[in-house]
Amino acid sequence: MKAVVDKMSGGHKLAVRGLTHRYRMGSPAAELTVLSGIDLEIARGEFVCIVGESGCGKSTLLRMMAGLLSPSEGQVLHDGTKVTGVRHELGFVFQQDAVFPWLTVERNVAYGPKSRGLPKAERERLVAHWCEAVGLTAFRKAYPKQLSGGMRKRVDLARAYANSPDVLLMDEPFAALDVQTKAEMQDAVLDLWKSTGKTVVFVTHDLDEAVFLSDVVVVLSSRPGHVHAIVRSTLSRPRDGATRVSDAFAAAKRTLWTTLQEARGRPAAIVPKELRASSITTQGA
Amino acid sequence: MPSDSRASLLARFCRPAVIVGVLSLAAVIGLYWYMALRPGINPALVPSPPTILKALRDEIATGDLLVNTVASLKRVVIGFCIGASLALVLGALAGWFRYAGYVLNPIIDALRPIPALAYIPLVIVWVGIGEPSRIIIIVLAVFKPCVVNARAGMKEVAQIYVDAARTLGASRWRVFATVALPSAVPYFIAGLRTGVSTGFLALVAAELIAAPSGLGFMIQNAGQYFRTDVTIVGIIVIGLLGALLDQIASRAGRALTSWSDVRREP
Repeated sequence: MKAVVDKMSGGHKLAVRGLTHRYRMGSPAAELTVLSGIDLEIARGEFVCIVGESGCGKSTLLRMMAGLLSPSEGQVLHDGTKVTGVRHELGFVFQQDAVFPWLTVERNVAYGPKSRGLPKAERERLVAHWCEAVGLTAFRKAYPKQLSGGMRKRVDLARAYANSPDVLLMDEPFAALDVQTKAEMQDAVLDLWKSTGKTVVFVTHDLDEAVFLSDVVVVLSSRPGHVHAIVRSTLSRPRDGATRVSDAFAAAKRTLWTTLQEARGRPAAIVPKELRASSITTQGA
Repeated sequence: MPSDSRASLLARFCRPAVIVGVLSLAAVIGLYWYMALRPGINPALVPSPPTILKALRDEIATGDLLVNTVASLKRVVIGFCIGASLALVLGALAGWFRYAGYVLNPIIDALRPIPALAYIPLVIVWVGIGEPSRIIIIVLAVFKPCVVNARAGMKEVAQIYVDAARTLGASRWRVFATVALPSAVPYFIAGLRTGVSTGFLALVAAELIAAPSGLGFMIQNAGQYFRTDVTIVGIIVIGLLGALLDQIASRAGRALTSWSDVRREP
């Protein structure tokens, strides 16, 4: 089975083929299959969200896409080449606070460019640009402990973008933030996505977040995790505060919720058939 | 403003911690003083506080105290620098690189339970009684806590920072230098602080055995001549110097880890 995210695009930015992940646990050791036969194709410039109940392996999938984890079977292709380890073209934003606490904001942002050996002038330009882009110019010399959780996430985003990645992989980056800050950060992410045009793969368990951000939502089912459905967004862009309270938003969320319930093996009968949008491509399990 | 600084100074010394602390110390001195003045107590063996103060003045006036303090400090500083730098390098490597660990861990763990002072006879036989042997004892004493802490710190480096650095394109070596080392600094500091005090401990022990100078020599020598007052002066100076070195290490550590938001000790 193959989940075609974008049939139009010829060369996919990121392709996942038959990806399976198992690990051994317990005693006596038993093999647990976390992900099984995942196929995905993600087009250049697309904003893709991956949702699924906790434990379905969505973070594992993203870590394998980043090359942080090797799959048991299958492969991840980035621009047609196999991902065998981390590469700076695949930027990653973690759920936890991953900003280096021993470096100032600007040194955090400069970390990637410096790792790649860019000249100082170029690094300085990148730092200035990305600090400005996330609204942290006034805090360039500050240490992370002096910043709020939301601001630290901004540093994290700036650090990822300053490294000129080709694809941004974000693993529930805003899960720990309060509702208000989360909404601000979602706006920030959409701004960055719009201004850079870079492909984003965003894992979340928050349906509002998935609906608000995505072009496409990949719904995973659990044990073992596999692609249950691909839901293409019906919402127009640009998206703003008005989008969040629109009827279209509520309808899209309802569709996604129903699909997720199905993925969990729960009857979706509570939602009348006519309310279920036609944008869902369900994968035969 | 002067009135402000006076007020803050007053406030600083009027805290319960300071008042009670001073009273507690005064009580111990008072108790000692009372014991020293009891009938049947030989004042040469249990000198009263004024006698001790006089001995302190004499030792300062003759320059003996300064000479001995400088001699001790020199040894402890040299020993500390050698022991600590060796320990940080080896501990960091052992804690981070798997094969360095395979090589170094058995050695570190074998040395770990042996008190540095147990090496004294061996060092004297091998190196003789001289300045090098005293410094070697201090190096050994400083090395142990520093190496154990440095290794532990490198093992506790949060995986999230390592992953973040790797996804940003950092090489293996760069992750070691810019992620592992800085995030282990709080452990290094803890090791260095313990190292300062164990080094100081070993210094006095090494000087007690055979040394022409130093605070250990001073108290040992005075004891042999029943100059208990001078011995007590030596002990007090050793205590003050130890506290001073610990303060320096602690302040240096705090300056180096100002980025950290771990709880500061009171």
